[in-house]
Amino acid sequence: MALLLFDLVLCALLLLLAGAAMLSRSLTQAVTLFIAFGVMMALAWARLKAPDLALAEAAIGAGLTGALCFTALVRYAKQPAYPQPALWRPLTFIGLVTALLLASLSQIPLQPSSAIPALVQQHLPQSGVSHPVTAVLLNFRAWDTLLELLVLLLALLGARQAPGDLPRYRGWSLSISWSRLLSPLLLLVSGYLLWRGAAAPGGAFQAGALLASGLVILRLNQQLSWLSWRHFWVRMLVLGGLLAFVLAGAVSLLLQDLGAVWLSWPQSIAGAVILIVESFATLAIAVTLTLLVVGEPKPEVADA
Amino acid sequence: MFPALLLVTLPLSAALLMLLWPRFARSLHVTVALLSVPLAGYFLQQILLHGEQQWLLGGWSPLLAIRWQADSLSALLLLLSALLHLLVSGYALAVQARDRLPAAFWPLSSLLLASLQALWLARDLFNWYVCLELLGMVAVALVTLSGDKALKPALNYLLFSLFASLCYLLGVALLYAGYGALDLPLLAGQLEANRLNAMALLLITLGLMLKAACWPLHIWLPAAHAAAPAAVSALLSALVVKGPLFILYLVWTELAPQAFWLPASYLFALAALGALLFGGIAALRTPYGKSLVAYSTVAQLGYATLALAFVLRFNLPEFVAALWLFVLAHALAKAASFLAMGELQQTLGSKQVSALKGASQTMPLAMFAFAVAGGSLIGLPPSGGFLAKWALLLGLWQSQQYFWLLVLAVATLLAAAYVFRVVVLAFDRAEPTAPDFAPQRLPQYLALLPALAVWAMALFSMPLLTLLKQEL
Repeated sequence: MALLLFDLVLCALLLLLAGAAMLSRSLTQAVTLFIAFGVMMALAWARLKAPDLALAEAAIGAGLTGALCFTALVRYAKQPAYPQPALWRPLTFIGLVTALLLASLSQIPLQPSSAIPALVQQHLPQSGVSHPVTAVLLNFRAWDTLLELLVLLLALLGARQAPGDLPRYRGWSLSISWSRLLSPLLLLVSGYLLWRGAAAPGGAFQAGALLASGLVILRLNQQLSWLSWRHFWVRMLVLGGLLAFVLAGAVSLLLQDLGAVWLSWPQSIAGAVILIVESFATLAIAVTLTLLVVGEPKPEVADA
Repeated sequence: MFPALLLVTLPLSAALLMLLWPRFARSLHVTVALLSVPLAGYFLQQILLHGEQQWLLGGWSPLLAIRWQADSLSALLLLLSALLHLLVSGYALAVQARDRLPAAFWPLSSLLLASLQALWLARDLFNWYVCLELLGMVAVALVTLSGDKALKPALNYLLFSLFASLCYLLGVALLYAGYGALDLPLLAGQLEANRLNAMALLLITLGLMLKAACWPLHIWLPAAHAAAPAAVSALLSALVVKGPLFILYLVWTELAPQAFWLPASYLFALAALGALLFGGIAALRTPYGKSLVAYSTVAQLGYATLALAFVLRFNLPEFVAALWLFVLAHALAKAASFLAMGELQQTLGSKQVSALKGASQTMPLAMFAFAVAGGSLIGLPPSGGFLAKWALLLGLWQSQQYFWLLVLAVATLLAAAYVFRVVVLAFDRAEPTAPDFAPQRLPQYLALLPALAVWAMALFSMPLLTLLKQEL
């Protein structure tokens, strides 16, 4: 009963926050409401028994996106008040899709097909990890994850084409000292999330996002000035996840004696391979997200 | 496994190395582009010899793993992408001394190749989503290469592309909720004609049509394709919009229940009608050269949509052949016309169509390339465009669709009008626009190459037709 009440309040709050964020007249208010929406969304995922998603939503949806929106607001503070967008088109579309979804929802089978979960459980011992989500992401459907890492890299490469200066303000001493206190803690927690990912909710994406939030806090307080795409080692970190993944794939080809299979590792080394790939991916995700959120001091020089 | 795998991973890993060591970007890029073509050719030959092949990545059971499958159509598209990639790389190198593309062009275009090849091979609904996302991101990043003026069209493109991805993903999620599988061959024939599947297919179709720029969801395309550098526009128009079309074709012919085919065919036919008429008219009216070519893409995609509509309605092999012949012919012709138009604009120093006055005298090669490619866009025999249109006409005649014969005639006249709009202006030699600098020969020859190739398709019409009619 109490949980039902909680769920109802959560749903109402989600809708309310989303609506308020869309209709709000001031951008700062809208962003704040959006961050609150992200936190509530994370709670909703947790209630839906998807803790991996809840962690990612809290770190990316609420944390990093909020930071991104606020840095954008700082950059465009001089711009005149933004025009109220016409809402009737998105609202019509949302209304239509919701109505159609509700109409079709009844035909979703009550008992979802259990074939895949059963198969995942059955093959879990061969995957090298004991958490089914990690097994799916990094072993059964590793190719998807590799390509997703590439999507993230491309987001960075695309964003780099639109150069935006890092907002310059003298660090506020309180925020600087707080950032120094907070970042080791975030480092610790993200390391823990990465390590736990093999057996429990967590993993490269969540750990990377959390690490990124630490880096973003430091970067926004004018520290870590080396964090720029121009430095070889930063590029190495950004590309490390993908490089490790591709190399692991190459290893998988070399190890198989007959009928070489891409991205398939023998059970004995699968766990180690996944941990290595995840560690590099965590660093890559963290640095990529940081560069994506705070941008870089200088635009790229033309091809020499 | 190896050729297919290399076709994807070679450009992918090369792009990573290019980003690490930008100094070697160009040589790496060219090496990979050169290697990809014989590899894709070898792969096509293997597929033609031994029939279709499939692999389950990671070696897990079909429900769990991502499936790759290569039939003759996929192999043909793999070869086409590799060829056009090589051609555009050559063009980018040839104009390098004059208008320098940003360093990011080399890794990005390699990644474009990798994501396209991954898309042609995949047979998994979620993996396709990731590939579409990749394709969209890389295309947007490539559009932004022409600098600040391209940011607005690129941002529009990004927003439309993300919206389309989300629609597609929602549709896939509904299908997964209903059937608990993402693998295309496993799902094939399973779907019943109920509301859930109708909704899922509607969302998937909406997303894919938006990405493939089917009329009336094409609004992002002309601005984005016209704002990009010429080399990029050629890749985008020739290849990128064909990826979603490929998925749309497979989803409808393999996945969708037969009961939905008829309404879907009306939807696609309507979109095709709009594209053919309004795309043609817009190309006729636009004052800018590259916009003209971009609107012509919208119009030409109408033919492919029409062929898809009739595949669903009458299930004749002629229409399948017509669909893919249009895709092949349009890819080659559009690469040629974008490169030629880019070269003309760059040398004559204006984006206006009116600046092309007298271009047949000042830049005969580029103009010849444009006209030859335009011949295929119109569908003059014996070009690739004619082959495709002939297959479509045959099918329409067999199924007695006389109204559509009329539409095709009007669309052909419109295409002729916008191609001749340029050609006539180019032959107006009274006061030709003086070029800003001596025209370069090599890029113009490179623009001519695909235009000649599309006419050479006529020589291979029999093998192409037999290869494509096997599908379905």
